[in-house]
Amino acid sequence: MELIKMTGITKEYPGTVALKDVDFYLKKGEILSLLGENGAGKTTLMKILYGMEKQDKGEIYINGEQVSFSNPNDAIARGICMVHQHFMLVPAFTVTENVIAGIEPTKNKYFVDHKQAEDRVRELINRYNFNIDADAKIESLSVGEQQRVEILKALYRDASILILDEPSAVLTPNEVDELFVTLRKLQSQGTSIVIITHKLRETMSIADRAMVLRSGLLTHDSVDPSLSSVQELSELMVGRLIRLDNRQPSEKIGSVMFSVKDLVVKDDRGVERLKGISFDIREGEILGFAGVEGNGQTQILEAVTGLIQPESIEMTLNGEIITGDARAHIDCGIGHVPEDRSTMGLVGGMSIKSNFILGYHGYPDVCKNKLMRWKEIYAFGENCRENFQVKTPNIEAPVSSLSGGNQQKVVMARVLSREQKVLVAAHPTRGLDVGAMEYVHQQIFDFRDQGKAVLLISAELDEVVRLSDRLMVLFEGKIVAECDPTEFTKTELGLLMTGHSVETVRGMAS
Amino acid sequence: MINKIQLSDKTTNFLIALGKSSLALVTALFIGGVIISLGGYSFVEVYVSIFKGSLGTSRGLILTLATATPIMLTGLGFALGIKVGIVNTGLEGQLYAGAMIAALVGAYIPLPSGLHTAVALLAGGAAGGLIGALMSLFKIRFGAPEVITGIMLNSVVMFFTSYLSNVPLKPEGAAAAQTKEIFETARLTRIVPRSQLTTALFIAILMCILVYFMHKKTVWGYQMMVIGLNPRAADVAGINSSYMYTAALSLSGFMAGLAGSGLVLGIFRRFIEEVSSGLGFQGIPVSALAGHNPLGVIASALLFGALEAGSLIVNQSTAIPFEFVDVVQALVVVFVAAPAMITDPFKFVCMKIRKRRLTDAISEVPHEEGE
Amino acid sequence: MELFASIIATTLRLSVPVMLAAIGCSFSTKAGVTAFGCEGMMAAGAIFATIGAYYSGNRWVGVFVGLVAGLFMSLIHGVLHIRFRVNATLSGMGVNLLGVATATLLLKLVWNEEGFSPPTDAFSKLSATPPFTGIAKIPLIGGVLGEQSIYLLFCIVFIILGWVYMYRTTFGLRMRMVGENPVAAHSVGINTVRYKYFGVIMCGLLAGLGGTYLSLVGMNRYTINMAAGRGYVAMVINNLGGSNPIGTALSSLFFGFFDCLQFVFQGVQTPAQLMMMMPYVFTLIVCLLNSKRATGPAGVGKHFDAK
Repeated sequence: MELIKMTGITKEYPGTVALKDVDFYLKKGEILSLLGENGAGKTTLMKILYGMEKQDKGEIYINGEQVSFSNPNDAIARGICMVHQHFMLVPAFTVTENVIAGIEPTKNKYFVDHKQAEDRVRELINRYNFNIDADAKIESLSVGEQQRVEILKALYRDASILILDEPSAVLTPNEVDELFVTLRKLQSQGTSIVIITHKLRETMSIADRAMVLRSGLLTHDSVDPSLSSVQELSELMVGRLIRLDNRQPSEKIGSVMFSVKDLVVKDDRGVERLKGISFDIREGEILGFAGVEGNGQTQILEAVTGLIQPESIEMTLNGEIITGDARAHIDCGIGHVPEDRSTMGLVGGMSIKSNFILGYHGYPDVCKNKLMRWKEIYAFGENCRENFQVKTPNIEAPVSSLSGGNQQKVVMARVLSREQKVLVAAHPTRGLDVGAMEYVHQQIFDFRDQGKAVLLISAELDEVVRLSDRLMVLFEGKIVAECDPTEFTKTELGLLMTGHSVETVRGMAS
Repeated sequence: MINKIQLSDKTTNFLIALGKSSLALVTALFIGGVIISLGGYSFVEVYVSIFKGSLGTSRGLILTLATATPIMLTGLGFALGIKVGIVNTGLEGQLYAGAMIAALVGAYIPLPSGLHTAVALLAGGAAGGLIGALMSLFKIRFGAPEVITGIMLNSVVMFFTSYLSNVPLKPEGAAAAQTKEIFETARLTRIVPRSQLTTALFIAILMCILVYFMHKKTVWGYQMMVIGLNPRAADVAGINSSYMYTAALSLSGFMAGLAGSGLVLGIFRRFIEEVSSGLGFQGIPVSALAGHNPLGVIASALLFGALEAGSLIVNQSTAIPFEFVDVVQALVVVFVAAPAMITDPFKFVCMKIRKRRLTDAISEVPHEEGE
Repeated sequence: MELFASIIATTLRLSVPVMLAAIGCSFSTKAGVTAFGCEGMMAAGAIFATIGAYYSGNRWVGVFVGLVAGLFMSLIHGVLHIRFRVNATLSGMGVNLLGVATATLLLKLVWNEEGFSPPTDAFSKLSATPPFTGIAKIPLIGGVLGEQSIYLLFCIVFIILGWVYMYRTTFGLRMRMVGENPVAAHSVGINTVRYKYFGVIMCGLLAGLGGTYLSLVGMNRYTINMAAGRGYVAMVINNLGGSNPIGTALSSLFFGFFDCLQFVFQGVQTPAQLMMMMPYVFTLIVCLLNSKRATGPAGVGKHFDAK
């Protein structure tokens, strides 16, 4: 008998069917990988199991007994714990406080017994070698450490069923390996684990079984990862063969057109986040930065697009020095595809038409004598819609009505429809499915092939390796390696990303 | 074949907004009426007399328009702030600043007729605008929440102007706190002699139209919309938020300052301590009912003007308290913000009735016994 | 020496109503709901306290009715913001307008007055209230304490209870988590809605209590515009005090001290209005200097489903 069985789960949101008649099962002691593209419904299914959402139709059984969860507490009581992709932590609280909130040990019924709490948390930290300080405030921990606190929350609650949502999204390959060691240890102690992921390599390395969801439907429920290849699993996920490894190296690289020297950025605590980096990008070249989030990528983006004023920077484009604010940078022909399209790139409540001109609203074709030329703006918008295949019947509709992929198309259309000299693309395919990803990548290749420069920053190592003509590895605010993307394996790149020197890595290879 | 009326997004949005406002107004009036009837008066009679009084007689109409004028301006001021996502709580102080400066320019700087009025008005507006700009400065430079600094500045300005009109600037022999009377050359023409209706009304309407135009047709309006909806995206898009916040708050204060100037130059002919009794805050319900739309503010101000004027007139002949209009206004703010507050209980009751009917219907089905 | 003691006594007396409201604000803020709306809650508390005391002849009934009124006002704010997701400043402003307007209207409706209500049963100073009459005899502080009302006791109780609740109990920890990160709190099964309402209700009760002080202590009637902006000041004080009961209480004393100075200087040639302006100017300056540090809980204005 299965430990967990979910039958006929259906969940609808206004406008979309997230899950349709999905059957799910988990055997005791197994590690299951729940595969699917973004938006396939994996997280929704698990949120239902965890009690954060309620299904419209379908039943849930635990050990053969039907259950109904109305909130996470019910699930926790049954030993089900979820480690979320976006950490559910309070930065201002300590590790202990975050772990015990909601389930605090008490003395005299209502008073928190801090001592007991800390002792138990420390004990768990030691048992699993998590290497963090129970008293530390979350805001002082690294991303990998914060994830361990999330897992601690589950361990503290004696979870026998652990659900991890995209656990490796923010980890280096080495940290992922460490995580898997922990998971195997948990498995050996009887914990059953579900890993939600769209990463195929990890599925192959850790999971006993894989289930595939595609657009809210269950397509395969007992795939043996050890018998499949990445290509095969990928095909299962999208239904067609995707070749994510095919690179398109530049055919023609010219002279240096964009150059940054001695970039130093300090944060508001006075800590140096970028310690004097320099790089050049040539005509017809994509320069990619690899690195774990938090090592200075955001700072590079902000400095290069004029969003912050660095401590020091010498930036030239085609020989001309560039300074000033975001406005100045945009006007110089630096096209910016921001990290987070919904908070930085688009205005949700505004029409698609108005979003097409965001950032360029002062330009002559948009605005004359301070008056908006709405007729011309509409025509421009229609053009963009066609050229970039934005799926919408009406560009007067709010941009929030578009899917993630189409929204990103709006952002790209806005930038690429105008003469740009440099494209600064930050996590350009975050949250997009493989199809949209392919489209965006091709747009970037096409732009580069016009003899322009592209600065690419992405947390997806695969993406950086695939797109870049030249690769730089960023670690703790310094460039620790500059290479051809094919020079190192992913694992070696991961080592570089965590601070190992190039010599060490090369030495290990030979 | 039935033709479906194709409504554009814009028309639909407008109708929805109109519906929200109407529902809020009607509910607020209803509850106001209930309170009135608790006080022993007849609900329907009260409202009929109010609207008859304010719109039926020429005297009432004049009072309506006169009452609407200052709140049209403060309502417009509030709407200007909301456009960029700021709740301007400092309108009252900005009004007082405008009133004082206009009174001073009017009384101490001799200028030819016509020009004198214009200069005094602009000076008053600028004074209010300055306070607004100050709020923006505090926000940008110090990170001080404008909601709080606005309140603080209200008190500072009000007490300071009170001091001025009580001590240094008080004319010899004057009984109450005030400043010297303005020159005739500075006066705002009264449209109807010996009334409170002045050309300030036209100025107010003109301002609303200009601001609407600015919002819809100019690049500043576009930028303000972006900032109001997503300040971070505005930064990334190269929009200078500091500049826009300052512009919006200055304009907002300018309108309130104009309101104060209008009161001084048109009605009181001098600064007095009681120049405003919450007119700055009254801008909030006016703007809310209008959906924070500058053109809507014209209609909204006229409506509230009618309500207030009517209740004042009615109060003269009966004992019905005119204060309940303030309650109605406050209720409008509450209901416009969440129309669901009205519709939800309604839906709940409907659902209960439906359930009752269903169970009744079921129990009426005859049971076959035995056979 | 006399002057000194008198200053302290007056400072305490003036601080109490605002302190109560400000402590209420700290509950609301810690639970993640902007504490705007205190002016309306205080005004409602004041007028209904007078109504209650008038009709029953008993000041304690007045207190009770005033508390209920404050509670009602805060529920409007709470429902608007928590259930209907209205911007807390707007819903708070609505409550402010409603409370003040209702108070003025009731003054007219109930007694047909426009200035002040008829007198009611009220609270006198401790030295005149059994069982505390002996209090003036305590060395050093007795004189000062004797001048206070029983509300000082309420203040102390709520400061202590508030602090212990927030920082020592399980409920307090959960409420603070709701204020910092409601989505996270929800994910561990904490009922964020319940805690937010709790914060808002505490604010309503305490601000209402502060309002009852205005019309039942010292004064024994409701005067027009009695709250006079104190509700707004309470909000500022809470911001100044870092949204916790002790910091807030200290900030209230600070404000009360300046408020008191106005009376001290009245004998001297400085005009009253400038003195009345001083506490606001001072608080404004401190607010400007303080804002960068005291930002309050990170999750204020946010809800459990991140919408």
